Amino acid sequence: MIAGENLDPRVKLIIVMCLSTMGVFIHNISVLFGILLISFLAAVIFGARVFTIVKKHKSFIYLFIAISIMQSIFSPSGASILSIKGVSILTMGGLEKGLIMMERMSVVLVSASIMTTTTTRKVIQGLVQWKIPYEVAFMTSIAIRFLPVFMEEMRDCLTAIQLRGIDLKKIPLKKKIQIYSYIFTPIVAGTFIKSQKLSMAMETRAFRAFPNRTSYLVLNMQLQDYMFITLSILLTIAVIIVSSLYC
Amino acid sequence: MTFPLEVSELQFRYQGSETNILRGVNLKVKKGEILALVGLSGCGKTTLCYCLCGIIPHVIQGDYKGKVLINGTSASEMKLPGIATKLGIVFQDPDTQLFAPVVEDEIAFGPENLCIERDEIGKRISEVLKQVGMERYRLGSPAILSGGQKQLIALASVLSLHTEIFIFDEAMSQIDSEGKRSIKEMICQLKNLGKTIVMVEHDFENLDIADRIMVMRNGILEPYNGVLK
Amino acid sequence: MEENNNIPYIKMQEAAFRYPKGDFVIENTSLTLFQNEFTAVTGPNGSGKTTLGKLIVGIVKPDCGSVKILNRDTREMTLGEIGKKVGYLFQNPERQLFSMNIREEISFPMEIRGIPKEKIKEKVDEMLETFSLTHLEGIPAFKLSRGEKQRLAIASILVNNPGFFVMDEPTTGLDAERKKDLSELISNLQDKGIGMVVISHDLPFIKQHADRTITLSGGKIIDDSR
Repeated sequence: MIAGENLDPRVKLIIVMCLSTMGVFIHNISVLFGILLISFLAAVIFGARVFTIVKKHKSFIYLFIAISIMQSIFSPSGASILSIKGVSILTMGGLEKGLIMMERMSVVLVSASIMTTTTTRKVIQGLVQWKIPYEVAFMTSIAIRFLPVFMEEMRDCLTAIQLRGIDLKKIPLKKKIQIYSYIFTPIVAGTFIKSQKLSMAMETRAFRAFPNRTSYLVLNMQLQDYMFITLSILLTIAVIIVSSLYC
Repeated sequence: MTFPLEVSELQFRYQGSETNILRGVNLKVKKGEILALVGLSGCGKTTLCYCLCGIIPHVIQGDYKGKVLINGTSASEMKLPGIATKLGIVFQDPDTQLFAPVVEDEIAFGPENLCIERDEIGKRISEVLKQVGMERYRLGSPAILSGGQKQLIALASVLSLHTEIFIFDEAMSQIDSEGKRSIKEMICQLKNLGKTIVMVEHDFENLDIADRIMVMRNGILEPYNGVLK
Repeated sequence: MEENNNIPYIKMQEAAFRYPKGDFVIENTSLTLFQNEFTAVTGPNGSGKTTLGKLIVGIVKPDCGSVKILNRDTREMTLGEIGKKVGYLFQNPERQLFSMNIREEISFPMEIRGIPKEKIKEKVDEMLETFSLTHLEGIPAFKLSRGEKQRLAIASILVNNPGFFVMDEPTTGLDAERKKDLSELISNLQDKGIGMVVISHDLPFIKQHADRTITLSGGKIIDDSR
């Protein structure tokens, strides 16, 4: 969407941090729900495919639900909703705490999806222009670039070891741990070889020739970017203060 | 006469190894020449490439004797960034020499490291993408390109450093026939522009573009006479 | 090992496959592979050769249609069961070498499955001998050359006596002499009655061995000739 493409990636980063901060510091269930709605709205306006991303991270949702249930069971308060043999398992207060936990984690996931509307290179460039050392940003960019490669290699190694006639589901835990330790070898070897080759490629293209380097891509913040940042930070502070005073 | 690339009595032994892998390599490559190097696996071709581009002795240490001269200057006395402006190398594995999220960044990487001005970098990016015929991939991700295309981008990232000498270390071994054709065409183009090229090869079918073929045998280079051993 | 017959070892029927993110990599494909044949699979980069190889072996399961190994659907088989029927050599042998020690590389799956120590020693000695690896004992696996790593991976896979073998780009990085060694090894496997599928863009190598050549383009078989 138009709004998303024109915004500097650093603005999006600030917005995500503001939303997540509100998610962490606010304890009121209704206000948190409001923040969650705002996060959804922001993600959609910026063009993030929120529902696709949420679907992709289904396992996180299940984890959230599990954590929330744990929270509601172990922090009982208020009227009892469910009790077994006189022991209160679920209470109104506990349920509310669980729901707050759920909302909190959802705010973080949904607001993080805003970052998918910008490219890694822009975010890295943004951080570099904010004086993060280039090497740090560069290594982060390499890690992001090679994460899928690494995942694929792990999958292949796991496949290869099972194809040796080992049925992971049928062997006892002790032997399963042994198998995973065997997979360690090719993964470490593979990573070592890759990093050697990468560093040679980088050195032959003058990496770290000088203490500084120029940058072809330059991000320039516009007036609207500064306005967005200011508004976001002010609103965040206001909401947190009001919520802690009156809710 | 100063040769762009000259090697004189080069000997090298890796740290921890008992024998020399290079035992007195001598070589003179003319300007505008395509020299092919063949030899059995493990004979030292890649080690020689590393010596030519300065990885040995600057990154990989060992027992190094002899001289590698790039335009008359000793490579061991130059720093790696200095060598990078004179000699570029395209490696075998496309995936470990491309690390930027976008093609444009990949090509800008070298010039950025050398603190070249932004406008000049922009010019060079357009120029080399046109040279390798990959202009329309400028803002795309290198990860989704085919093997041949990746090697063309790797070549473009070296071209953006405006080097005069190019080394191809088995650069076509993981590429299909279509990709090989593109790379060979590029190598011939570079020759016509007066560049000096050394290509290390296992695949004899790629040697048709070479002006001269030498074989690495027992740690030294000899003219190739049809036999590898 | 199954009997060396003209039996359809692997049967693919109207199988299609796509990775979670993208378009179909393999489109409705039907294919029967016989144990007494050397089948080459070739085609440009990106045509789906590696994916087809993984579908054939059951490493990935088809989104529609079916792939059957000796009449058993791969979706009903575990990778462990598949490995005893079909061997798979990755393009990069490092991905399937798990131990620093050559002997252990061959023996560890047998140890995990509880096979008696004497039988294991017998089998390992046999494999080391057959694949000319005995003289390399004592050298850590990561120091072996590419060709030697490949031989070690093949030896470890053949411990299970699979009746079929799929190799993905086995000639990459091999010089002319090592290619000759690989050729000999493949011929020996064929003599033992093991069916072969080799995925390769090395046309001269394929011409030398293939009884049948399948050409892929854009995820479809565009040619299948004997």
